[in-house]
Amino acid sequence: MSWTFEVSHSACGLDIRRHRLHNGLGLIVMADPHAPVVSYQTWYGVGSRHEQAGQTGMAHLFEHLMFNRTEKHGRGQFDRIIERTGGDNNAATWVDWTYYRDSVPPRDLATVVELEADRMANLVLESPELESEREVVANERMQRVDDDIDGFADEELGRLAYTIHPYRWPTIGWMEDIRSMTLDQVRSFYRTYYAPNNATVVVVGGVDEAAVLDLVASHYGSLDAADIPVHPTITEPAQTEERRRSFAKPTPSPRYLAGFRGVALGHPDWPALSLACAILGAGQSSRLYRRLVVESEIAIHVHCDVPQFRDPALIRISTQLRRGHRPDQAEAEIDSVLAQLQGELISEEELTKVRNVAETDFWSELEGCDGRAESLGHFQTTLGDFRRLFEIADSLSRVSREDIQRVARAHFGRHNRSVIEILPDGDEE
Amino acid sequence: MSKLIFEHGETTPLCSFTAAVPRGAVYDPDQLEGLTRHAAELACRGAGDLDREKLDAAIDFLGGSIDVEVDRDWIALSATCLARNLDRTAELACSILADPRFEASEHEALIRESLSDLDDVRDDDSSLADRHFQRLVAPGHRYGRTTLGTDQSLERLPLERARTHHRLLWDGSQMIVGVAGAVSQSRADRLVDQLTSAASAKGEQPGEPLPITPTPAGRRIYLIDKPERSQCQLVLGHVAPRYGTPDYTALMPLETTFGGMFTSRLMQQVRVERGWSYGAGCRMMRARSPYWFRIVTAPTREVAVPALSLILDMYRDIASNGIAADELEFAVGHITGSLPFMRATARQRMRLALRHRLLDLPDDFPLGLGAELEALDTDTVTRAARQCLTPDDLCIVMVATADEVVPELERAGLAPTEIIPYDSY
Repeated sequence: MSWTFEVSHSACGLDIRRHRLHNGLGLIVMADPHAPVVSYQTWYGVGSRHEQAGQTGMAHLFEHLMFNRTEKHGRGQFDRIIERTGGDNNAATWVDWTYYRDSVPPRDLATVVELEADRMANLVLESPELESEREVVANERMQRVDDDIDGFADEELGRLAYTIHPYRWPTIGWMEDIRSMTLDQVRSFYRTYYAPNNATVVVVGGVDEAAVLDLVASHYGSLDAADIPVHPTITEPAQTEERRRSFAKPTPSPRYLAGFRGVALGHPDWPALSLACAILGAGQSSRLYRRLVVESEIAIHVHCDVPQFRDPALIRISTQLRRGHRPDQAEAEIDSVLAQLQGELISEEELTKVRNVAETDFWSELEGCDGRAESLGHFQTTLGDFRRLFEIADSLSRVSREDIQRVARAHFGRHNRSVIEILPDGDEE
Repeated sequence: MSKLIFEHGETTPLCSFTAAVPRGAVYDPDQLEGLTRHAAELACRGAGDLDREKLDAAIDFLGGSIDVEVDRDWIALSATCLARNLDRTAELACSILADPRFEASEHEALIRESLSDLDDVRDDDSSLADRHFQRLVAPGHRYGRTTLGTDQSLERLPLERARTHHRLLWDGSQMIVGVAGAVSQSRADRLVDQLTSAASAKGEQPGEPLPITPTPAGRRIYLIDKPERSQCQLVLGHVAPRYGTPDYTALMPLETTFGGMFTSRLMQQVRVERGWSYGAGCRMMRARSPYWFRIVTAPTREVAVPALSLILDMYRDIASNGIAADELEFAVGHITGSLPFMRATARQRMRLALRHRLLDLPDDFPLGLGAELEALDTDTVTRAARQCLTPDDLCIVMVATADEVVPELERAGLAPTEIIPYDSY
């Protein structure tokens, strides 16, 4: 069993070092002698993007199943052991990854390493567990989508904006797929994707790096690498004309959600696009907020963001409207604001503002052990190198006013957008 | 006691400060629910020489934030910024405290905005259930009134009353200041002086807080009728002991065991065993006065009534029989072991101490809890449970579609006390 040291970086006055085990397992350690806690996270390179039609929601359903029994630990024992330490644990599935977080006192690190290595390799998957978690996930879907107007709108946007890329289906999956997933399919998914060479362990907090290396090697070293399928990059065809859909829901507040074809996190234009979104929607002095919430009082909320995905994502502008106002009114104002961004350079003051906002956001993410581990794990899994986190943050300071105008012109066109409107029941056009 | 709670930390170039006073929405006058929140928000809509647009631009330019928090017992002005921008951020915060403009146009705009916020609350089933639960659990209780306001109270809010209310709330002699992050002790001391001077001593109360009322006798079921619900939001509860009292401490392991962890009884029975809901839990809420004990879950419509029946049975059981010795030991270990996580960063330590000061407890109260919890035995916990938990004097709020749920509720002997249209409050 041997480690290969790969790369290092410094941040927050601490060293961050990445190693690789002989079976492909990645390990990133950020030891902080002053931290009274440890965040131990396992990032798997599988998300909803890796699913196939008819089995959407598999990655997320499987995330739930990972908390059930293994050959060594009975049902419920994983959570019980973590909770006994005073710590807690959770997990999340998104389009490009699934990650598992354990936050424990430093003295319990060995326990967590054993538990995580165990469930990576020895999970027991049987029908009772599948059926129980299937119901829980179905409930979760009802809560987050079927009974939630914004969740519903988001899901419909993905379905409308993408035609072939797997970002078109929701990470939680379509209900019919959740209901029809079989035990064989679940087991196959586990064998395919849950392997050391498809995982990066991230350890941040009150630990000794050498001790972590020994501990992880001793528990993961005997695990075999798997033949991880290489998914061909699917390029969504260019959008040539606007797409729109409307729905009626029992709400007095209409919704307007627009998705513009954007870029991937690793694209050179992502920083400029990120700052453009901040100009539009970060803070109460942002352009969309001023126009929609303050000046015209059309909206209750407005948001603008470009997600940090591996493949080209949708730039989203979403707004919840005040009673009595219509989505077309919001769209007219949004179009006017976008036209201004495209037509005129932003001021130096505005540029400084959004750089300051980005800087504050960057450091806010790195304040605690969980946040640090999450940032490192996300960039390592999505872009293949945790150092991209710092490179991209650094590049934000080099984005110019011309860059922002250029990306606004390239991406905020009507032909490039998909729109979902939610109207109050009885107000459908 | 020093006005300053200070925690230094250099892991990031950020700093945070919070100026708080132990005066909150319990001082909303009768018929003017929402006044405290309105006054606090309005103060941030223009101060000194800066109208709202210029003030927002000035704050955003620094990359940070200045926000107001309104609780029933306290209000706070909190800021986060890059350390290099602390001076200007402090200046803006002091301006909000000392010299808010309270312009009529902003006052009227904020009222319109708050009315829209009510729509937002009604759109979200969890918030909707909570809003109705608060007003129904113990009518007349000081924590039962909405901090946001109602359609009627918002329309009535007078500008001059908001101005006076703001002035009385922000009393420098009552202020506590928390500072954390990349800032020196001397700068923190100066910040205290700046903020307390900005809110001069007033020497008078902003009014009389509401009383504390008991939970009415009997079980009351309120169905908040909303169309097309595939799930049902359930909130059950009653008035509980005050945080910091021996009874509250004795009930903490029971709260954890019943619904305070993933492996709690509620979570295991409702979610894990039956798959009936994504989550199920309970909490004894913390305030300066006795607040609620609440159980919350969101079962699908088809199993809402069996879920309610199950939870009622489980609650009766634990209220009568308490918890087992091994459950007590586990819960105490979990609670005491979780403390380092609440104090892992400078900002967390500052906020935790500040919160306890506002609750009229020592800053380091959580640190002493461990010994008290470890001294508990099952008899003490059971005694507290029988005395303080009232499964038969209970308020139950369900957000569901009445036509689909009421017949089954009636068959189960759980007929609603009242059916309330979801948009009526």
